Amino acid sequence: MDQEFQIEEKTAGTLPVVAVSGEIDVATAPQLRECLHRVIADGGSTIVLDILGVTFLDSTALGVLVGALKRCRELGGDLHIVAADPRIVKIFEITGLTNVFTITDSLQAAGAS
Amino acid sequence: MTDSMEKLAAGDRIELTFPARGDLIVLARLVTSAISARAGFDIEELEDLRLAVGELCLLTLQGHDSRYGDLRLELSVLDDAIGVQCTLEHAAPGGETQPDEDESAFLSQQILDALVDEHGRESQDGSVRTWLRKRRGVHDA
Repeated sequence: MDQEFQIEEKTAGTLPVVAVSGEIDVATAPQLRECLHRVIADGGSTIVLDILGVTFLDSTALGVLVGALKRCRELGGDLHIVAADPRIVKIFEITGLTNVFTITDSLQAAGAS
Repeated sequence: MTDSMEKLAAGDRIELTFPARGDLIVLARLVTSAISARAGFDIEELEDLRLAVGELCLLTLQGHDSRYGDLRLELSVLDDAIGVQCTLEHAAPGGETQPDEDESAFLSQQILDALVDEHGRESQDGSVRTWLRKRRGVHDA
């Protein structure tokens, strides 16, 4: 385990930002799901998910992100992913999710500055 | 890999058995990293194997009530590859279904398709077996 899993909720401009660090896997993904669902329930139809500090993610994490994206889009919003680590971006690429999510390499590019 | 690291050779085999809980899959990933490095895989292949073995464990647990089961991981160093087998024993079908589980299982298959040379899953008499094989020095993902 490289780094302890942590979630932080903040706001950048008008957008809610959820910043995650550490490993997102079957053990920690439920915490992320709960957090994203809470932000959506609080009215955040468009969310910026900052995973710049994430060192590992698996299919369980991706499933949570896809589920949250569907909820956001049902409300007319979106889920923007901020990721820069090539190992993390590669997981989105090999699963075809780069065509599904808007992925940028900085919070500024995601409109959350 | 440092010079002081003891290398593994073809024919070497390592086993790890642990309670079949999702939060312990991290153990399988850690062991896979260590064994892959000692078997001569480079850092990119090692990262691929770490992810792939985690997915293999998830697929093994899928659809089973694993509260009383054990997950047995066997890593075999081959001439130009590594073989990994994951077996779930003493578990019953059923168990709690997680939200997004179907989506995650589909994504697991896609990840394994991309990262390893072959993989499979079979279930018989309350036991589930999954396996993968990845060759050294092949970067096609």
